[in-house]
Amino acid sequence: MKCHSSHTNKRNISDGKIKILLMGNPNVGKSVIFSKLTGVHVNSSNYAGTTVDYTIGDVSFGRQRGVMIDVPGVYSLDAISEAEKVAVNLLKEGADVIVCVLDATHLERNLDLAFQLKEYDIPIVYSLNLVDVAKRQGINIDVEKLSQELGAPVIPTIAIKNKGLMEILRAAMKLAEEECVPGSKLTDEERWDKIRDIVAKVQTRVQKKKVTFIEVLEDKTIQPWPGIPLALLVLAISLGVVVGGGKALRAVVLLPLVKDIIQPALTNLVSLVVPEGVFRNLLVGDYGILVIGIEWPLALILPYVFLFYVVFSFLEDSGYMPRIAVLADGVLRRMGIHGGNIIPLMLGYGCAVPAILGSRVANSYKERIIVAALVSFAIPCASQSAAFFALLGDRSIPALVFVYLLSILVGLAVGTIVNRIVPGKSQPMLLEVPNLLWPDKDAFKKKIKLRMKNFLIDAEGPMMIGIVVASVIAETGILNEFSKLIEPLVEGWLGLPKEASLSLLLGIIRRELAVLPLLELDLNMLQLVVGSVIALFYLPCLSVFGVLTKEFSLKVSLLIVVATTTTAFLFGGVINQVGRLILGAM
Amino acid sequence: MMPLAFGNKRSKYRVVKLPDSHLLKALGLRKGTEFTLESKHPFKGPVVVKVGCRCIAIDYDVARDILVEEV
Repeated sequence: MKCHSSHTNKRNISDGKIKILLMGNPNVGKSVIFSKLTGVHVNSSNYAGTTVDYTIGDVSFGRQRGVMIDVPGVYSLDAISEAEKVAVNLLKEGADVIVCVLDATHLERNLDLAFQLKEYDIPIVYSLNLVDVAKRQGINIDVEKLSQELGAPVIPTIAIKNKGLMEILRAAMKLAEEECVPGSKLTDEERWDKIRDIVAKVQTRVQKKKVTFIEVLEDKTIQPWPGIPLALLVLAISLGVVVGGGKALRAVVLLPLVKDIIQPALTNLVSLVVPEGVFRNLLVGDYGILVIGIEWPLALILPYVFLFYVVFSFLEDSGYMPRIAVLADGVLRRMGIHGGNIIPLMLGYGCAVPAILGSRVANSYKERIIVAALVSFAIPCASQSAAFFALLGDRSIPALVFVYLLSILVGLAVGTIVNRIVPGKSQPMLLEVPNLLWPDKDAFKKKIKLRMKNFLIDAEGPMMIGIVVASVIAETGILNEFSKLIEPLVEGWLGLPKEASLSLLLGIIRRELAVLPLLELDLNMLQLVVGSVIALFYLPCLSVFGVLTKEFSLKVSLLIVVATTTTAFLFGGVINQVGRLILGAM
Repeated sequence: MMPLAFGNKRSKYRVVKLPDSHLLKALGLRKGTEFTLESKHPFKGPVVVKVGCRCIAIDYDVARDILVEEV
């Protein structure tokens, strides 16, 4: 690659902004660099026709303006995996400059991508990241020499401490003005030989003296013992943070705010303007739009969803998640999916939609079906969990534990069955386990912000629709008619009061709406458990139905709907009948 | 020479023969690569190896197809 300055205008984006591609292997700190260099306006988009998302943000340096694209992390440009295809397509679309992030602790493997990038006619600046970690590990890299070998600027960075990042941007903006002749294409063997030579020239290693605490932890968390008990402990603590923290947030801040300030204010206001009657009830009655429309999303659901994403993003950014994947592989393999799928499955406890979309880029169709089935069937999303905590948490912890244990057992059964009936092959696990590190504050905040934004857009809309529907049918008497219709099912088979039919109606729209109406009823213990079990397995919500249809087919999503609903009524009814027999005998 | 899946924890090995896998190569596991076996997992779980300073988890069945010799 040879570059020289040019005076032609070669901006790749129409409004005169410089287009920067941020590229590198996975787990090299790319996203940290991205979040430090870009401003507040960050958007994630789905690359058309793929399951891969990438992020775009604005950057500025002096008077120069640019956009930076955080290209999915890849090891090579062979265009075999979906992420690689996206990376290659973004390169082919053209850019003014590439910022290629290299991991100083693993130079040899990172240079592979670095050399493949040189085959494009785009100038490159290299960020030699994690130099502090490399130094701690006794690795020294001659930056000057490396820069000569690569024929491009190499800038040492410690992204997490903001070191070297402005220099990267300065170099990138300068290089963006230049034009490049692509480097010659090398065969794999030629490239590897060349890389081996370069590494021998620029890198020196000294035996380091002592083992750090973090290295001990890295080692322990990847051994079955004590890795598995440690992982269970971490998951238990995570659950504690979400459940306990959410409950505290709710009790101390949100419920008083909603119940004592917002709702009375709204009720008074509406009473002044709207005369008594159906219309006023619709707005501020027991099921009034303004009453539950504010209480449910804000006080019941939001705190849990927020804390879930805090915990999940922490596990992700600290490099701990792939360790859980390694430990879970043995069990998940029985269900026909490799350990890496634990990540979308865990994400499913947040929301099923990103879980199904993100069911691992390289997965086969069979594995994606298995993950989707598990998520739709047996993994309660954060909103649904929040509703369970609200319903059962105060009444009976054993009942809550029972519902979650049942969900895991049914999950195992569903995975095994789907694995048997769906033809196809599963992919073996091949996964890099990154170093453990303390997540970067900026990157962490941006991630949570983005996730909360997506949640609010995806979930609150349908939830408000559900609440409006709830108000209308509850306050106008339509509910009574419907309740009479399905009375045999609700009262006879499930042993619930007929008002519970509202749950069944609303559960079609959002999963937590199958639980929340039960809060307003005076249920006994058995009814609570039955109601929760039905809500657990009942229909996936409308958004999930949409995603399933889009990702697979209408047939698949209808099959899942029929299977989950049947399971819900079967389990709910059996628990009710058996429970009554036992209670009657006592 | 033996399959990687039968290796011992904490021992050092060199790759002699490996299946033609794009991802294995990309992860830096090639003929001649030296590494340490970090951990093995129950129920035919993955074999974790350390190449340089980075750990890679390899599926049990794949690890059976990788032939290694002790260093």
